[in-house]
Amino acid sequence: MLVDFNFRIIFEYLPLFLTGLRSTFFISLVSISLALVTGVIACACRISGIKILKYPAIAFIEIIRSTPLLVQIYFLYFGLPTLGLRVPEIQTGIIALMLNSGAYIAEIIRAGITSVDQGQLEAGTASGLNYIQRMRFIILPQALGVTVPPLLGQSIVLVKDSALLSLISVMELTRCGQTMTSERFMPAEAFFTVAFFYMCIYFCLKALADWSQRKLIFREAY
Amino acid sequence: MIEFKNVNKWFGKLHVLNNINLKIPKGEVLVICGPSGSGKSTLIRCINRLEKIQNGEIIVNNTPVHDKLTNLTKLRAEIGFVFQQFHLYPHMTVLQNVMLAPVNVKKIAKAEAKKIAMEKLEQVGLTEKHGVHPAQLSGGQQQRVAIARGLAMSPEIMLFDEPTSALDPEMIGEVLDVMVNLVSEGMTMCVVTHEMGFARKVANRVLFMDEGAIVETGTPNEFFDNPKTDRAATFISMILTH
Repeated sequence: MLVDFNFRIIFEYLPLFLTGLRSTFFISLVSISLALVTGVIACACRISGIKILKYPAIAFIEIIRSTPLLVQIYFLYFGLPTLGLRVPEIQTGIIALMLNSGAYIAEIIRAGITSVDQGQLEAGTASGLNYIQRMRFIILPQALGVTVPPLLGQSIVLVKDSALLSLISVMELTRCGQTMTSERFMPAEAFFTVAFFYMCIYFCLKALADWSQRKLIFREAY
Repeated sequence: MIEFKNVNKWFGKLHVLNNINLKIPKGEVLVICGPSGSGKSTLIRCINRLEKIQNGEIIVNNTPVHDKLTNLTKLRAEIGFVFQQFHLYPHMTVLQNVMLAPVNVKKIAKAEAKKIAMEKLEQVGLTEKHGVHPAQLSGGQQQRVAIARGLAMSPEIMLFDEPTSALDPEMIGEVLDVMVNLVSEGMTMCVVTHEMGFARKVANRVLFMDEGAIVETGTPNEFFDNPKTDRAATFISMILTH
């Protein structure tokens, strides 16, 4: 029970966990940034109406959404070398997270854009605004408010998904727990600590999401 | 000013505009009426190419509207359009709504655009509301802002697609008053509406459509009192007795 809980060993392993935390933080930050770019591009292609852009984008989004992330990670981990690409594990992991979140982000952005009433676009068209102006002045200001909270939600998912990279031996937070377990056989202490650090990241991001919700969501001004 | 030559349009199999020939001279106020689904909204939406046509030709101010080379921005800047559902931009204030197109399409300096916008808001009687968001306005006020937004581009033609159909009865009058004022300024107007009072008061001509075709045209009094076709007579008796 809790009396048997060995806090001393947690402190002994703290430097390792902090390296893992830093690694998880770095992987998540890079992945989510790249995923955002991927998502914007995929969404732009998806709604472009140009067939050679639209259909590959739909295929990408649907393939990612219909398969488990772990399968995607393994696919890249074992697949890329057979294509002659020798990519380090950490980069393989970042690519997998980028593609996975990118597909979800594309759909989040698309939902934000389609949530804007089409009639307003027609009104813009009728007064002579071109496509870019309609996007900039009418759609994006309204779409941005509704997409920021789900984007932060996706970031939270990505941070937790990055734990799967431990399976391709990326030295991130979860992997540190596995290392401690195999060295000292104290899984309860190890994964209690791992969980605690994930919770810290989660509550920081959640605070950001709540703040953005209050600040950014467009509210009808009464 | 506006001319339709043998215009046909299909939505899939539905023949929504059937061989339309129509001339609207400068300064004319044309009221278009007809049963739901008769193609009257589609007809005016073709004038600024919100809808494409499959054959025929529409000419506005000597410009072929459905020609690939036509400068649509310039064409649309000359035509104001008022929608049934107003379609104001909810994230902008009334003033920003009215200024958006003059600043970004006509590239008018902001100070000048603001002056124009305030003039147009005065014309629709809403100067004091310039700083509020559309959600704070009644339906009638929103529609008047939408009219001001159209007028801010100094158009030569104003198109109205059922401008009072989404309004509560007590707000219809204020919108029609604004439109009557526009008529007295000599604006060329096409109005899809069933407001008989408005048509009788200011329209030069009433056009009755059914199943995509123009069935009958005439002066408002001729049309409402002595319709030539049975179809029009039935329609008028229905809007009178509802």
